[in-house]
Amino acid sequence: MENQTRFSLNAAIENWRNELAAQPNLASEDRRELETHLRDAITGFQQRGLSDEESFWLARHRVGQPQQLGEEFVKADPVKIWRERVFWMWLAVFLSNTLGSLAHSMAFAMMPFNFQTESFVKTRQLMEMTVIMVSILTPLIIAILLARGRLISQFSRLMVLLEGRRRLAWAALGCVALSFAFRIASTMIFNSRLPAHMNMPIGDYLMPTIYSVVIALLLVWLMPRNEKNIQPA
Amino acid sequence: MYKTAMLTKDLVAASSKPLLLSILAGGESYGYEIIQKVRELSGGQIEWSDGMLYPVLHRLERDGLIESEWKEADTGRERKYYSISSNGRKALKTERQQWLAVHNTLSKLWKIKPVSA
Repeated sequence: MENQTRFSLNAAIENWRNELAAQPNLASEDRRELETHLRDAITGFQQRGLSDEESFWLARHRVGQPQQLGEEFVKADPVKIWRERVFWMWLAVFLSNTLGSLAHSMAFAMMPFNFQTESFVKTRQLMEMTVIMVSILTPLIIAILLARGRLISQFSRLMVLLEGRRRLAWAALGCVALSFAFRIASTMIFNSRLPAHMNMPIGDYLMPTIYSVVIALLLVWLMPRNEKNIQPA
Repeated sequence: MYKTAMLTKDLVAASSKPLLLSILAGGESYGYEIIQKVRELSGGQIEWSDGMLYPVLHRLERDGLIESEWKEADTGRERKYYSISSNGRKALKTERQQWLAVHNTLSKLWKIKPVSA
């Protein structure tokens, strides 16, 4: 009778990877390094004539217990894992900020302007509500969906943007440029509906843009080192 | 943290720095290859636990004695390669003097021919 639970090497490695990912003390680069080691060890055992399953379990044993690895790795470089956490924190701030800025511009451009004061206050309140809803509720909904295991494939595709410092820099620059363009456009639309003496000064959106640029630079600096180098060894 | 069947834990920990620096002084290498080399050179007497090698390498890197870089091997597998820095070479020189001092002292006591530095 054939073995009903056939061993799949890829599935086993995938499980092992998930086990490592559950260790809070292992940075993504550490996990990648350990995985190449596991794969090298598996290949080594296979070349000595062992089966996939035997090779996997021996290699896994050689590399060590994930929890113990986490404890030892964090002792060697305690700052690294925090650097990575701070990076994700600021990435969330940056995305929320970009989203808020875009929402603000759109609400600003679409605001039906009325010179009656009471209506103006109401519209303004409505506009601020919209901005808050978009910039706070959207990340909140995304976070809940991600935590419940939805949207993961879509997000993994976006991870391409995080491969390499240069790519991240371009993506962040794109976000800053987009919000900058939106702000100019919305101010121009807004001003076109008003008499010249009531126009919004263009300088108003410089501060938020500088803030975005500063966060973008911070992100590029904080980014976990995971660069790909094409040159052969 | 180390398998200590042959060497005591303290000795494995103390010797890992000169061993790693000496291996990397002979050219860049990656974790798996380093472990294989140590196992081979020591005739199996020095057995490192594979996963625990990396914290040691990372500590040496943080101290500026070695450098690392991700590279793609011929097989297409990406590996993190480590190489010795100029500070690492200086540190290796000191390590070498110290280990030889211990070695030569013991050699005299045990009446074995000493080794010149």
